[in-house]
Amino acid sequence: MLSVFNSINNAFCNTLGISSYMQGVVVLMCINIIAVLGMSVLTGFTRLFSFGNAGFMSIGAYAAAILTVRYNVNFLVAIILGALAAGFVAFCLGSITLRLKGDYFLITCLGFGECVRVLFNWTKNLTGGSAGFPGIPAYSNMLFSVVCTILAFFIAWRFIHSKYGRNLTSIRENEVAAQAVGINAFRTKRLSFVFSAIYAGWAGAIYAGYLMYIVPSAFNLGKSCELITTTVIGGLGSLTGSVLGAILVTVLPEVFRSMANYRMLLYGIAVVLVIMFKPTGLYGYKEFSLKRTIAWFKNLGKGKDKPAAAEGKEDK
Amino acid sequence: MFFQQLITGISVGGIYALLATGYSLIYSLLDFSNWSHGEFAMVGAYIAIVFSTMLPFPFLVAAMIGVAGGALVSWLTEKVVYRRIRSTGGPNMFLMIGAMGLSSVFQQAANLIFTGQYRSYPFKLPVSTIKIAGAYIGVLDLISLIITAIILIFLMYIINKTQFGLNVRGIACNQWGAKILGVKVDSCISKVFILAGCLAGVAGILYGAKYNVWPTMGNIGLKAFISSVLGGLGSVPGAILGAVLLGIIETLVSAYVSSSLRDFFSFALLIVILLVKPSGLLGVDVQDKA
Amino acid sequence: MSKNVDKTIPVLEMQGVDKHFGGVHAIDNFSVQIKHGQIHGLIGPNGAGKTTIFNNITGIYVPEMGKILFNGQDITGTPPHRVAQLGIGRTFQNIRLFANLPVLENVIIAANKDATYGFMDALLKTPKYKEREKALEEKAMGLLKVVGLADKTKELAGSLPYGHQRKLEIARAMALDPDLLLLDEPAAGMNTEESLDLVNFVREIRDTFDITILMIEHHMDVVSSLCDYCTVLNFGKTIAVGTPAEVKADPEVIKAYLGGTV
Repeated sequence: MLSVFNSINNAFCNTLGISSYMQGVVVLMCINIIAVLGMSVLTGFTRLFSFGNAGFMSIGAYAAAILTVRYNVNFLVAIILGALAAGFVAFCLGSITLRLKGDYFLITCLGFGECVRVLFNWTKNLTGGSAGFPGIPAYSNMLFSVVCTILAFFIAWRFIHSKYGRNLTSIRENEVAAQAVGINAFRTKRLSFVFSAIYAGWAGAIYAGYLMYIVPSAFNLGKSCELITTTVIGGLGSLTGSVLGAILVTVLPEVFRSMANYRMLLYGIAVVLVIMFKPTGLYGYKEFSLKRTIAWFKNLGKGKDKPAAAEGKEDK
Repeated sequence: MFFQQLITGISVGGIYALLATGYSLIYSLLDFSNWSHGEFAMVGAYIAIVFSTMLPFPFLVAAMIGVAGGALVSWLTEKVVYRRIRSTGGPNMFLMIGAMGLSSVFQQAANLIFTGQYRSYPFKLPVSTIKIAGAYIGVLDLISLIITAIILIFLMYIINKTQFGLNVRGIACNQWGAKILGVKVDSCISKVFILAGCLAGVAGILYGAKYNVWPTMGNIGLKAFISSVLGGLGSVPGAILGAVLLGIIETLVSAYVSSSLRDFFSFALLIVILLVKPSGLLGVDVQDKA
Repeated sequence: MSKNVDKTIPVLEMQGVDKHFGGVHAIDNFSVQIKHGQIHGLIGPNGAGKTTIFNNITGIYVPEMGKILFNGQDITGTPPHRVAQLGIGRTFQNIRLFANLPVLENVIIAANKDATYGFMDALLKTPKYKEREKALEEKAMGLLKVVGLADKTKELAGSLPYGHQRKLEIARAMALDPDLLLLDEPAAGMNTEESLDLVNFVREIRDTFDITILMIEHHMDVVSSLCDYCTVLNFGKTIAVGTPAEVKADPEVIKAYLGGTV
């Protein structure tokens, strides 16, 4: 099945003339988008912070890797199980730690992420330890990643734009008021946490099938920070903003290759500037809309005599 | 052997305590985890490296300049970044994201300027030991322990006995109320950042002297975070207690279990303590007012 | 609303409720009985423990002693979201809206219990999902019409003027279909004319939805013209109970609170 699957992708890419380098960039972009979407639901919509999402990514990656290599499980099943494994761990962790307040929750997430990494390093028989886990089948071709990303976006969009998303947002806006209208804050937060972990695990599973070789150190605290950074730059409380952020963060370094050394420095500066001057990011609390963007460009053409229609109200 | 490890643990814990107290002070005032706090230690350590190895200054002078540098950078971040974020009135999470961004800026800048190479101070102290009660104790550990103890005692004096300390406690308790009573809140916050920067600078240099100096050494800020949570966020004595506990546990686990499981044990301990006492060892549980 | 509850038993009954904060006796042996359809006022100077009583009813605090019965059911120590689901809606002294969300969404969130569809329904936009969402929107629109905000559905709640925010909070609480509505200083910051408006508004709400109201209020004229009964508190202690006229004549009350100004 895998070979048929990959040849479809190759045929597709050959017809469109997409180089393998480009395919790689697209796959990485897709992985980032999925992980950042999860982060966006958690941080942007629920205002919960997690430094543990790299840990969930590694759970998804290792679960998928071990299942496909050791147990010959079909890769589709392995990806689903990988994502669910991450979600299950998040459910257990969240059940314990989400009752803790703000920064106490944060530190336990962070600790969790680090512990997972240490455990994967330590369980050499199962995971290969710090030397890495090789020989994962190359199931994450471009076409597959793109399909996954579209599906992920669709699910997240429907999730946010239904009662589930409304409940999350009410927690973000005012937890006491949310409870006063009958919303179970703890369970709502846990749902958000699990959702975000499933997405992280999903992204991790695709990552494993793309690199075909994973090491625990790829999922360190820095990776979690990168996910948060991307979410913030893209815009808290906006799914389209998160996608845009993830695309920028993947594509820009490829375009400005010569600046590779400065990449992380520029991320840092970007985050500080965004949070200082436009804390809701590129598309904070708003979704991308073609109509508004066109209106915005039209106004640009007319000069600055009219306030841009695209500008909504700033949050305070 | 155990006694030896214990002294090392307390000495490492002391370094964490220097960071954790500053971190805790800032938390008590602004209710936010200054994620970039560890970077001030890194900045201090590097400045001391520059002045003692690249420029012809005696180490002690270089160290003092390093401490001042840590304080300056800490003060600047408050003045330029945090004050601006606070003025927008957004949630405290924004402060933390800003701090996270700053942390990455400092680390990357250090990496670009100094490369990832490990650097050390121009003296041989780390290896020399003395024999006390049958155990070999590192001279550096002892010196570090003594310096830390003196500074922490001095810090407790400032907080508990001076007008400045009273103001700080007042703001921590009720910022608005303190303002009404004529406390200059912003200037007080600035001073706390300077103080915290100094403490971090000392911690950075001691840590650098014990191990080495490298661009991501600021990650010991994380230990400060863990220590403060362990002891109870916002409580200075709690931060010291948490830090010393953490130092001892880390050293003992490294010595008797496995150094690769060191962080695993510290985090596991943290989670267990939070489950039993959700507000940390010396923390006060504050109920939200509706 | 038209739930199957016995209208002869008190909607809310508190028996000897006690709560301390540190050394402060915030409420001391507080008891009250509110019958169906009544508007009951809770008055007293600042720090008398009025909001603390609300927080005990709604489960934000757990009382150290005493019992709280709602429609005859013991709800002492029930978590806040359960209390709300049981049918107690509330507003807050310092308004707590979902400020960055549109007005309509603020009310829809509170009607959440009517959103009885699953994740798959939401994902596939099944007829069930569409129908429930439509019903939610209609219900919210209806409530917004009652409070006079039907033309502001798309505005962000945080951008509304103060008076409208108070009304939106009431509409939001009403989306729970409550039997009991707790209003925390609804007339705070209003001038005489506005508070008269409010008196009519609250009465209208009571009559339209056939509910019971417990309200904290400072404006004595609002209390006099609106409340059937009231309880006066001072330093956590109940110093008088009765109709507004009786209470106003009580020497203890005059001494403690009214100070002869009325």
